[in-house]
Amino acid sequence: MSAMIEAEGLTKTFPGGVTAVDGVTFTVEEGEIFGFLGPNGAGKSTTIAMLTTLMKPTGGNARVAGMSIIRQAYQVRLAIGYVSQDLAVDDNLTGYENLRLQAGFYHIPRAEVERRITEVLEMVELSDRANDLVETYSGGMRKRLDIACGLIHRPRLLFLDEPTLGLDIQTRREIWQYIQHLRDDIKMTIFLTTHYMDEADALCDRIAIIDYGRIKVMDTPSRLKSTLGDELVEFRFATGTEEEIAAAVETIRRQGFVTDVREAGERGYVAVVTNGETAIPRIFDAIAGMPAHIGAITHKRPSLDDVFLHYTGHEMRENGGSRDEAMRSRMIMRRARG
Amino acid sequence: MNMGRLLSDVYWVFWREMKRFFLQRSRLVMAVVQPVVWLVLMGNSMSGLTRNPIAARMLGTGNYLDFMVPGVMIMTALFGGVFGGTSVLWDRRLGFLNKMLTAPIYRAAIPLGKLLSLMVQSWFQVIIIVVIAVILGVHFVTGLPGVLFMLLLASLFGVIMGGISLSLASMLKSIEALHAIMNFLTLPLMFTSNAMFPTRAMPVWLRRIADVNPLSYAVAPMRTVAMKGWIWQDLWVGLVALTFLAAVSTAVAIRQFHRSIA
Ligand SMILES: Nc1ncnc2c1ncn2[C@@H]1O[C@H](COP(=O)(O)OP(=O)(O)OP(=O)(O)O)[C@@H](O)[C@H]1O
Ligand SMILES: [Mg+2]
Repeated sequence: MSAMIEAEGLTKTFPGGVTAVDGVTFTVEEGEIFGFLGPNGAGKSTTIAMLTTLMKPTGGNARVAGMSIIRQAYQVRLAIGYVSQDLAVDDNLTGYENLRLQAGFYHIPRAEVERRITEVLEMVELSDRANDLVETYSGGMRKRLDIACGLIHRPRLLFLDEPTLGLDIQTRREIWQYIQHLRDDIKMTIFLTTHYMDEADALCDRIAIIDYGRIKVMDTPSRLKSTLGDELVEFRFATGTEEEIAAAVETIRRQGFVTDVREAGERGYVAVVTNGETAIPRIFDAIAGMPAHIGAITHKRPSLDDVFLHYTGHEMRENGGSRDEAMRSRMIMRRARG
Repeated sequence: MNMGRLLSDVYWVFWREMKRFFLQRSRLVMAVVQPVVWLVLMGNSMSGLTRNPIAARMLGTGNYLDFMVPGVMIMTALFGGVFGGTSVLWDRRLGFLNKMLTAPIYRAAIPLGKLLSLMVQSWFQVIIIVVIAVILGVHFVTGLPGVLFMLLLASLFGVIMGGISLSLASMLKSIEALHAIMNFLTLPLMFTSNAMFPTRAMPVWLRRIADVNPLSYAVAPMRTVAMKGWIWQDLWVGLVALTFLAAVSTAVAIRQFHRSIA
């Protein structure tokens, strides 16, 4: 196996002074599905912009498909496919015409064009709507067409920036299937970004958690989860002042079966425990008679959410914001881009 | 540089712009309605002028429409050109620009394809004006070759304005700012030229401006060809000046695009 992406201290500081990507180093092997997981503004799109030669890094370098993104931008472009998070299909063209245009941009030989278009249309199940204007497509259909556009030249490496942002469960599942098919059957390497935990978990061979432009941790989803210990108990206090709650938490922390207790939202805590089944009654026993009372408690295995919380110190939802908000700020940003 | 590839890239950018041009019905309708309104309204309201023999001499014709038609052609090319930069900014806002920029195409193909489409779009508009003018009784003394010559001059002028618009678009990166500046440019450019009034009827200071206004450079030879004939000593200055300015404007647009966007 050889590396498809080798990033070395990749950094981007915008003229305004924002360092969106801050010394990111990672390697993606051929045939891998690698994911960048992070909240809005973490620097995912900026990283992709550098790797796809849209932006020059202000520090560090990367090799994509063996070529330098700084000195061999043209060769990099030939090797990669890119599906942005913007749904960049042309509304004024039909689905077929969008693909025809893309085939033209990638200099696909005339004799090949029809076959390629048919092939990608079939894959994303849009053959029957190919001759309709994109204007008449639903959001999910647009996204599928956009993905098809990124595949027309059969790239060795595909960049997918938030491929399922704002789509319904059904469409998200379909897109996951396409992605898996590309890797399993065509041996394509895939670099994707997402802020959905389940997506990273379901698709990625390895993920990097990125927050404020830095990689916090990088590993396979299952290993990341197991580093947190095997089991978690989540509980929330119903009564008690701040001091009373702090005292109760301290007591729980001192129990032999508890390895760690972290805050998780208002009055909420997560305890990493060695024996989940018996942990719940034992926690109650430990703080029996204390003024703070637990109102809700659950036992669970760690999810990527917990991993995220563990490595970044905050929950993903905190700086999530709604999709509309994200879209709006993106619009404004693009307008202001210098 | 691989010429064949460059041409292919320009062609595909151009192809997309033309598809969009023909799809946008409102733009097509406007392409017809606008010159009709200009010709019919202006032609009628100004026709009183030509009853005055001095004015008729200044216009060089007894029919104001004859005088007016080349001006309307240029104004159409002007309007088409000044908003040419908008499409780059829309592409940028909608993410399509990034899609083109990650493809292995020559960067220059993007401004070149867009300018070429402006040129061809202005041909359609000029042809529409010719048809309407003929219906309204305008006679072009040099016939079809003369019309083709006017087509060429009008589209060169469209490219000049389009190049300026694209350059500003690359620098400003804001549709609103671009529109504000271009709107600000259009009217003065029009009224300080010979497009609607003969320069001979202008006060001296205005005539000085009109004489260097690129719009006048385009209109004067078109008028000569439309109303007088192939008088080459009156034609070549405009042709050379417009070709030169179109080339410069294109070069600047490509350069600005490279510097600010790609
Ligand atoms: N052109 C720019 N000029 C200035 N700042 C920028 C620019 N592009 C992005 N940023 C800033 O860089 C940071 C990272 O943005 P980026 O788009 O990479 O985030 P992201 O992880 O893709 O987020 P999202 O999930 O919202 O897409 C943000 O703080 C953003 O405001
Ligand atoms: Mg993003």
